[in-house]
Amino acid sequence: MSMFLQACVNGLLMGGFYSLMGMGQNIIFGVMKIVNFCHGEMLMVGMYLTFILYTYLGIDPYLAVPIVAVAMFCLGSVIQHTLITPSLGTKSFTNLLFLTVGLGLLLSNGALVLFGSEYRSIRTAYSQTYIQMGPVTMALPRLISFGVLIVVTIALFAFLKYTTIGKQIRAVSQNPVGAEVVGIDVKKMYILTYGLGVALAGTAGALLTQFYTIFPTAGASFGFRALIVVVVGGLGSIPGAFLAGIFLGLLETMSALFISPSYSDLIVFMTFIVILVVRQTVIARRK
Amino acid sequence: MDSKKAVHTYHRNLTIVLGLILLVFILIPTVVKSPYILNIFVLVFYMSTLSMAWNLLGGMTGQNSLGHAAYMGLGAYACCLLVVKTGANPWIAAVFGMVVVGLVAGIVFYPCFILRGPYFTLVSIAFGESIRQVIINSEFFGRASGVGLPFGSDSWLDFRFTSKVPYYYIGLLMMIGVYLVMKKIDRSKMGFALKTIREDEDAAAAIGINPTRYKIMAVVISAMVAGLVGFFYASYIRYIDPELMVQAKSTESVLPAVVGGAAYVEGPIVGGLIMIPLSEYLRANFSSILPGINMLMYAVVLLAVIRFRPTGILGWYMNSRTKNFIDQKVLKKPSLEVLEKVELMEYQKREV
Repeated sequence: MSMFLQACVNGLLMGGFYSLMGMGQNIIFGVMKIVNFCHGEMLMVGMYLTFILYTYLGIDPYLAVPIVAVAMFCLGSVIQHTLITPSLGTKSFTNLLFLTVGLGLLLSNGALVLFGSEYRSIRTAYSQTYIQMGPVTMALPRLISFGVLIVVTIALFAFLKYTTIGKQIRAVSQNPVGAEVVGIDVKKMYILTYGLGVALAGTAGALLTQFYTIFPTAGASFGFRALIVVVVGGLGSIPGAFLAGIFLGLLETMSALFISPSYSDLIVFMTFIVILVVRQTVIARRK
Repeated sequence: MDSKKAVHTYHRNLTIVLGLILLVFILIPTVVKSPYILNIFVLVFYMSTLSMAWNLLGGMTGQNSLGHAAYMGLGAYACCLLVVKTGANPWIAAVFGMVVVGLVAGIVFYPCFILRGPYFTLVSIAFGESIRQVIINSEFFGRASGVGLPFGSDSWLDFRFTSKVPYYYIGLLMMIGVYLVMKKIDRSKMGFALKTIREDEDAAAAIGINPTRYKIMAVVISAMVAGLVGFFYASYIRYIDPELMVQAKSTESVLPAVVGGAAYVEGPIVGGLIMIPLSEYLRANFSSILPGINMLMYAVVLLAVIRFRPTGILGWYMNSRTKNFIDQKVLKKPSLEVLEKVELMEYQKREV
């Protein structure tokens, strides 16, 4: 029983990261209808940024979160403005797809060139602190990270729901032409959206650093899981993405506990394929 | 009759130029003796073939798969296991591997064709990764340590050589063969159906093209070619492991097509001839100082091509002054009206 509870908590804590990644991917996909295949690499960049801030400037990883988020927002905006917006005009899905794939290659191999392939990690004074809660043990950094995740999720939800810019972003995601007609600067919204999505991935990376090793391909598995979250949680839905992320984290730990850790990836992928196919078939039938 | 003669001259010139290019490729091994250079050529041949397989599905049909490394790996595994477990002849194993990959791809993707655009890409990634996970977790497939083919003396029957020259010729033959098949498909009814599906699937269905049927055909053919490449790879390297199927390899197999021009059958070959020697040169000379520099350059070239020449290098060439010059001065290409007139005349002659 205690094993089960422990697995639940671990799945929950990991699922929070998938949620955060998924939310970033979700707004990008929702607004521009492109899949950001370098989302995982953005998380990796966030991790390296935190690592640099901690090692060279001595900034605590949690204090670095806002700095990383702002830096990643700028990076995302620049990429959107210089690369993605011009290619959106060509209407070629293949090109847009491989643009983001190419960016992913650029970032992960750029990290390899700059930092080498060594595994790095950040160990602060409190990273080995554990909290006992009944039968369950939790590492303090994981708990703090999860708390920050919840705050970011609520903030994002409120931002999209109640602020003017949030409403504009949602308008563009529903109908770009209509949004342009009523006077919304669609290109500006694209830049904001991509910047925001990338900033969310970077935040997830910064929060991960204390209990995850940092290496150039660290983001790959997170990147694909973010896509799963988008598909399972439903387009444009922040609560849906949050729940889907938690579900994914739980599915992983549960399949590792009840079946075998080496099969957990396979089970995640198979579940994803089945959910996707069934869902799209239902949608097609309804039409 | 003057126009007919002009067209005849043009076709003759075209044949001569293509023949000369082919002759250069045939003569390369007699001049170049360095195994390192020959290895790069073999790499170009099989990567271009894999990229052509992708191009049938991605460029022609508009279904962007990112799981072609998995088909290739599956083909390689099917061949190797048949050879190792039953001692079958590798050439029979090649056919077996192609059939297995074609069947698996056809069965798995049948329910997936309801998915469009990015969803198809996601399923192809998930599917490729699933195959890899099955192989890593199964004793039958040799888990993560992979499978090796037996070594021995040179023999055509076992497709096993110490020199790289036979692999060079067979690789070249494979590339040209697959190219001819792709060209045939491109010009056939199937090719037009696939391109219609790419542009607008609903419109294609409305004019009587069955999208599911054609997409299944495209997937099966594409996967079978990838399986063939897997067979070639396994016979050439003589050792395979699940690393062959990682996501990055699928991406690598697409790059020649996108850089060369995904709308053209020749695109993957052009892209492969440019990108792979560049990548290998960087890998050989800089990887000890700067690991990852070759893939970094790959990414830079890819981004530059997509950003500035969205139709690829071949698309750029097709509208360039160089092509105009070559067409007019070297090939003596007659104007389009003349070409069409002669084609119509020959068509009418056949009708009568």
